[in-house]
Amino acid sequence: MNTFSYATALSTGSARDLVADCGAYLAGGNDLLGRLKEYIDSPAILVNIKSLPDLDRIERGEKFWTIGSLVTVARLEQDADLQSAFPGLHDAAAEIASPQIRNVVTVGGNLAQHSRCWYYRQRDVKCLKKDGDLCYARQSDNRYHSLFSGNDCISPVVSSLATAFAALDATAVVMRNGEEQRWSMAQFYADAWKMRLAHNSLQTGDLILRVEIPVNRPRSAYLQASDKHTFDWALVSCAAAADYVDGKLVRPRVALGSISPVPHQVDAANQYLEGRGLDEISAATAADMILAGAHPLEHNAYKVPLAHALIRRTLLRLKG
Amino acid sequence: MSTWPTQNKYISQSTTRVDAAAKVSGRARYSSDIQADGWLYGMILRSKWPAAKILVVDLDPARKIPGIKAALVVRDAPFTIRYYGEEIAAVAGTSKQACLDALRAIVVKAEPKDQFVVSEDDARQPDSAQVWEGAKNASTPRVRETGSVDSAFPECAAVIEGFYTTPVQIHNPMETHGSTVSWTDDGVTSWASTQGIGSVRDGLAGALKLDQSQVRVITDYMGGGFGAKFGAGVEGVMAARLSREAKAPVRLMLTRFDQALAVGNRPSSFQKIKIGALADGKLHAFEMENYGTAGIGAGGDGGGGGGGANIQAPYLYKVPNSRVKQFSVAVNAGSSRAFRAPGNPPASFGMESAMDDLAVKLGIDPLELRLKNDPNKIRQHEYRLGAEQLGWKEKYRSPGSSPGVVKTGIGCAAAAWPAGGGSRDTQGEAQISSDGSIELRLGVQDIGTGTKTVIAIVAAEILGLKPSQITVRVGDTNFPAGPGSGGSTTCASVSPTVYDICNNALSQLQSRSGLADARGDNWFAACKTLGVSPLTVHGQWQPGLSADHACGVQFAEVAVDTETGLVTVLKIVGVHDCGLIIDRLTLESQINGGIIMGMGYALYEERVLDTLSGVMLNPNFETYKLPGIADVPEIEVVLVNMPERGVIGIGEPSTVPTAGAIANAVANAIGVRVTSLPITPAKVLAALGKVPPAMKS
Repeated sequence: MNTFSYATALSTGSARDLVADCGAYLAGGNDLLGRLKEYIDSPAILVNIKSLPDLDRIERGEKFWTIGSLVTVARLEQDADLQSAFPGLHDAAAEIASPQIRNVVTVGGNLAQHSRCWYYRQRDVKCLKKDGDLCYARQSDNRYHSLFSGNDCISPVVSSLATAFAALDATAVVMRNGEEQRWSMAQFYADAWKMRLAHNSLQTGDLILRVEIPVNRPRSAYLQASDKHTFDWALVSCAAAADYVDGKLVRPRVALGSISPVPHQVDAANQYLEGRGLDEISAATAADMILAGAHPLEHNAYKVPLAHALIRRTLLRLKG
Repeated sequence: MSTWPTQNKYISQSTTRVDAAAKVSGRARYSSDIQADGWLYGMILRSKWPAAKILVVDLDPARKIPGIKAALVVRDAPFTIRYYGEEIAAVAGTSKQACLDALRAIVVKAEPKDQFVVSEDDARQPDSAQVWEGAKNASTPRVRETGSVDSAFPECAAVIEGFYTTPVQIHNPMETHGSTVSWTDDGVTSWASTQGIGSVRDGLAGALKLDQSQVRVITDYMGGGFGAKFGAGVEGVMAARLSREAKAPVRLMLTRFDQALAVGNRPSSFQKIKIGALADGKLHAFEMENYGTAGIGAGGDGGGGGGGANIQAPYLYKVPNSRVKQFSVAVNAGSSRAFRAPGNPPASFGMESAMDDLAVKLGIDPLELRLKNDPNKIRQHEYRLGAEQLGWKEKYRSPGSSPGVVKTGIGCAAAAWPAGGGSRDTQGEAQISSDGSIELRLGVQDIGTGTKTVIAIVAAEILGLKPSQITVRVGDTNFPAGPGSGGSTTCASVSPTVYDICNNALSQLQSRSGLADARGDNWFAACKTLGVSPLTVHGQWQPGLSADHACGVQFAEVAVDTETGLVTVLKIVGVHDCGLIIDRLTLESQINGGIIMGMGYALYEERVLDTLSGVMLNPNFETYKLPGIADVPEIEVVLVNMPERGVIGIGEPSTVPTAGAIANAVANAIGVRVTSLPITPAKVLAALGKVPPAMKS
């Protein structure tokens, strides 16, 4: 890696000042250090934010829960109350990487992590996302890539938590230049949909403070399909959340990961499911709607039936 | 002719590894742990192009990096690069970061070539880019023919055709390739992670133009090699050259990235098979065309030792009418090397897949088809044992008839390993002191398979002592020469040698002490007569105590999710023979390891080279996928002890049939065959006809 300076911030304000216009925040560091070692990124300063106050809390409110951005994924996984309130979020956390990694990585870092595209991560390939002029995946090996994209880059979002948060309609609270902004998951990744260089909508200096999850979807589920049984990226992930009253879905939301630069959500499908009972037919109809317009490429077309199966299974889990 | 004792206290029982405590406590110092006084880090600069002409390599900027003590080119420019990751230069310095900075500072002037080829199918086309100037990528096919194939196929009651393919597999031992080398006026010492201390010594001496006696290679503990760690290697030679230049020891261990590119792999195979049987199920006609790549290596040699792309066909079966045509295809990629049972896992996968497809066509149980056609009595016995253990009769259903979304299936496959015998050149010695302590020294290396434990067990058995009373020292070229650890030969080499050393020791002790029997309770009394000069006894491999040709069959039971394509292996039963079993515990461990490696080959592992850029896309464990603990099922090992055959090695046959058995179980579960390894969810869904056509990008 290239040389950098290092500082520990004790307040969000000083963290922002220290990062200035060419630094990076360091929390778990699992993604960041890999990027530094591969010379993908070379920030001038790493600002350790692990000592920032109050960002490592899980707070249970009446209308929503607040998850601090420094909460580790292991804590999400191990919090029994959280598991009963948001089983889909728990299951998403439990699928992330390995126990050792979950002990270190944070909620903020999981949301902010960069593309895992194997061209982007290859040290000797300069792809579109590294400001090159070619998306290699489009023309070559795209087995792990997107079915949807709003720009020439087809690397998908891989944050499992983002998939679950999107279904739960969670809000990320981001501090930008001293002001708190409230972003839906769609907004959090909106730039990645539009812009080939973006991994999410964060700009240098933006600091994720917390995620707020409304409690009005007591039923949630998350499933992912991978090549292996554990410690593997999702080929497709799916989360669904809703209330289920008298055999009818209330406020249903479905989101998918690893098939688009953003958590893939289709409002029309959510609307279709609203007030509807759950069975094989309604689940399959929703899956059809969610996957309409998919653009399978030479090596990733298998993701279409895979996603279809996961949507159906995840939705049916909401029946309990 | 010597014979093994028939009443044994330790042989054929279970003994914990003699170095288990040292390993689990971290006391064991592996090659990559060696810290010679004043040692430096060494690193290699590799080509970022798959094909290029290197014009100038300027090392001066690297030498100016603080902490850098030496920088050398691997070859003098100009020279040609033929694959991504080929070595260009190396540096040594006082820190890892200094070396990394130095590698980036080196200025390489090169003409990258647009013309390169990394896919076997592209490379064999007449208009392909040439890996070697003026030579076709595809070698001249080797054709072997017996009987009359063309007239035999029409006589068959059932004929099937299939195209079975296997990927390039990377060795990926726990410890990467590398060594620490110290070059002083007295000579060169290399602490190497190697399977062959002797071949590393000779390789270093040759490359460095030194007398072999000036080079000493030490391997106390090493973390696996699987066939890729016999030579000194570019990394070993460069460590030595850097050490001479820097006047300090240099530790040059490869990174995982390096490891994936340039130090060996298992060649791919593309097997077009046509096979037919008569109405009674007897195999009658066989035809195969196979090609594969050994990287830039022409690699046409057959399996059994080398790294070539040819495989055995029709593997372990005898077919009266057979035509086999094979060739290798050069691509711009690192050369293959011997890889645990070279040629056999792809040969077993292709042939055993074809056997099951033929059984379906014939409408008979695939196990029956094997029992009808396998010429080997040991395997016949093993098939019956394994079928009993798995419950084949109760579990076997016709393909695809398992109900539900998640379908289960079973399959089996076999191994035929021609080697595994002993090296007759193996020597060793024992030093016995008057206090009864005994140290055995053999110039062999323990590559993690339990060689030290085998030596202790055999010595304890012959001498009437306990294994813990035997001090074992291996891994030093100053000891009497032993074999390289390849071909599953180590156990069959050292066991008869230790037998000889110990019997020689007993006869000398008995004649010195006047005791009729120096074993067991008399050992210490006999040793006491030695006085101040320890007794040194030599010994060498003796005939009659070992053999070759192990068999082995495996059964797999799987569950396949027909909606997600995920294959879950529920159980593997491995039935294996290796003559006289020395240590059941390390033997079972070997077989478990072979099966897990075979699972990786079946379901996860694949080198992915990018046709557009020529680089490797998965030089890491993130996307070069290996079985993890959650993927590994219950493994039942059934051992067939055959003391009358003597000692035979097992390391290789245990990994041969796994992929074929799993592939057959998957086909049995879902009713269609995935013809290509690894069997990924994407391929399962495609085989089931569930994948829509791609759209234009």
